[in-house]
Amino acid sequence: MDYIQGLMDGFVTILSPFNLWMATLGCFFGTMVGILPGLGPTATIAILLPLVFEMEPIPALVMMSSIYYGAKYGGSTTSILINLPGEGASVVTCFDGYQMARQGRAGSALGISAIGSFVGGILGTFGLIFTAIPLARYTLKFGPAEFFSLILMGMLTIVFVGGKSIKKSLMSGLIGFGLGAVGTDVVEGAPRFVYGINQLRDGLSFILVCMGVFGVGEVLVSAEERMKTTSIKVKFKDLWPTIDDVIVSKWAMLRGTVIGFFIGALPGTGSTIASFISYGVEKGVSKEPERFGKGAIEGVAGPETANNASTSGAMVPLLALGIPGSGATAIMLGALIMFGLKPGPLLFATSADIVWALIACMFVSNVILLIMNLPMIPLFAASLRVSYSYMYPIILLVCIIGAYTLHMFVLDAFIMLLFGVFGYLMKKADIPGAPMVIALILGPMMEYSLYQALALSQGDVTTFITRPISATLLAISAVMTVAVSFKIVRMKRKMVEEEEN
Amino acid sequence: MEKSDRIFSIICMGLSFWLILESLNYKIIKGYTPGPAFLPFWTGVILFIFAIALMMETFSKKKGREKGKKDQILPPRPSLYRLGYIMLITAGFAVVMNFLGFTITTVLYVMTILFFLEGFNPVKSIIAGLAFGFCFFLIFLYWMEVSLPIGFWGF
Repeated sequence: MDYIQGLMDGFVTILSPFNLWMATLGCFFGTMVGILPGLGPTATIAILLPLVFEMEPIPALVMMSSIYYGAKYGGSTTSILINLPGEGASVVTCFDGYQMARQGRAGSALGISAIGSFVGGILGTFGLIFTAIPLARYTLKFGPAEFFSLILMGMLTIVFVGGKSIKKSLMSGLIGFGLGAVGTDVVEGAPRFVYGINQLRDGLSFILVCMGVFGVGEVLVSAEERMKTTSIKVKFKDLWPTIDDVIVSKWAMLRGTVIGFFIGALPGTGSTIASFISYGVEKGVSKEPERFGKGAIEGVAGPETANNASTSGAMVPLLALGIPGSGATAIMLGALIMFGLKPGPLLFATSADIVWALIACMFVSNVILLIMNLPMIPLFAASLRVSYSYMYPIILLVCIIGAYTLHMFVLDAFIMLLFGVFGYLMKKADIPGAPMVIALILGPMMEYSLYQALALSQGDVTTFITRPISATLLAISAVMTVAVSFKIVRMKRKMVEEEEN
Repeated sequence: MEKSDRIFSIICMGLSFWLILESLNYKIIKGYTPGPAFLPFWTGVILFIFAIALMMETFSKKKGREKGKKDQILPPRPSLYRLGYIMLITAGFAVVMNFLGFTITTVLYVMTILFFLEGFNPVKSIIAGLAFGFCFFLIFLYWMEVSLPIGFWGF
């Protein structure tokens, strides 16, 4: 079976000393930055992206995926120890994890979180293998019309599901489309919106936008107030959960894996929704639901497993279709493009060695994180006591280095800082940044697909509805739009009725 | 959130005007395919429509805010100035780096932030600046061999 052969080849690549070292470093850096309150996986990857610029593709992707997983682990540590979620998906972990810590069971909470994340990551990666590859093979039938319809559907899903306000998510996405128009036009090859600035001919670099919006923007939000946190101290000998804890949590972990993987595979949903759904399910199936919110270990095990499994799920549309479902996978998509790879169905055919190495790395990273994180939790917990006054200059310096080293232009650093201010203001105004970044990457792809589809059909727009796959995808988009519009109209009618009453 | 929504609407309207007006310099349709202006033009139009819709929503919402509670997008002035100084110093770092070199500028940057913004004492600021400068030199210039500006002193 070529799955096994591919996976074995991937392991052979990953288990080289240098790649293992990169994976370890990625896990460590990802955890250290992910542990900082407010900096989730997206910001973590954006901030640490400069580390991989000078690398070859495989070690770079190894490090990036390890950073991604590490940041997921780090986020739960702050939830448990200081009741401050490191990212959206760790909010739920605060409910019971912090209560467990207050009861002197911080070690059990952290330990089961690590074990659950490990289980979710490993099983989720198996899910990725058996889902992404058949999906990629099916997607080989896609032409430009199908890709246009797919990108449209993906963007709509991200907009409808990904943010609190659909209007703001849509506007954020449209801004991204507008920014994606800067550069050289795909139709005539002429410069568009560059105003004579040669550096803009290749378009606005998504790296600068990501580092600005997710990195610098988040740092500004955190640095706004001098952050002081007090965390619960954890001793090394108290780290390990008991056998009973693991037995009690086993079904929660398995359910969390399934929930996290499938939710994560849907563009726009992400790990936050997966963790909340998992928590709701665990509370619903529990014989003692009143324990939840007071230190129920299933309330930590399920959501943390779902959180990590969703990471593997999110890689399915990224690798198989080339559609990122979240800010973090958008950055990874951009990084893949930066290394000359084209995510999508052809990726498995043209760069199978890299894909299998990435998948093998996902297994290895989870193992490294389990081995590394448990003994190092006291160190990570101690890092929470380091003043943020030291942290944010380091993060800003790393971002400046990353921006500058792209093309050795100071202008790039200024563009990044400008987007940093923009990202800060977006965060304050509750406008999601992920749709903008995803649209920045997908916009040009969508434009090119539209151009190709109409060129091939000689201007016949019915090509989008006469081709069955494209028609199906457009129909799904239409149904989603109608369903969401009905829901909004119903909500508004309810609001009006309540006001009248 | 109404104030921030209105400001965001106005910004989006401005952006949509820019997209639409600039798009008119290019062709919207070229033969039977979309021209260079197609995507930005329609993006501008749809963005404008939603910006109007968001603006109208802010006026039609019942004001359920608590009395005396302001709709504050930006932080209080001291915090705002602090963020402004952080950005200014960081932008200054990017410029000065080309002249003094990466390492020296890093030392000065960290010292400036810690002393002037964070209120650390001079000795602590200098030690932290030197420590960070050394660590960054080791990691980025020595280990990773990242191409960063080198100053007069060779580092």
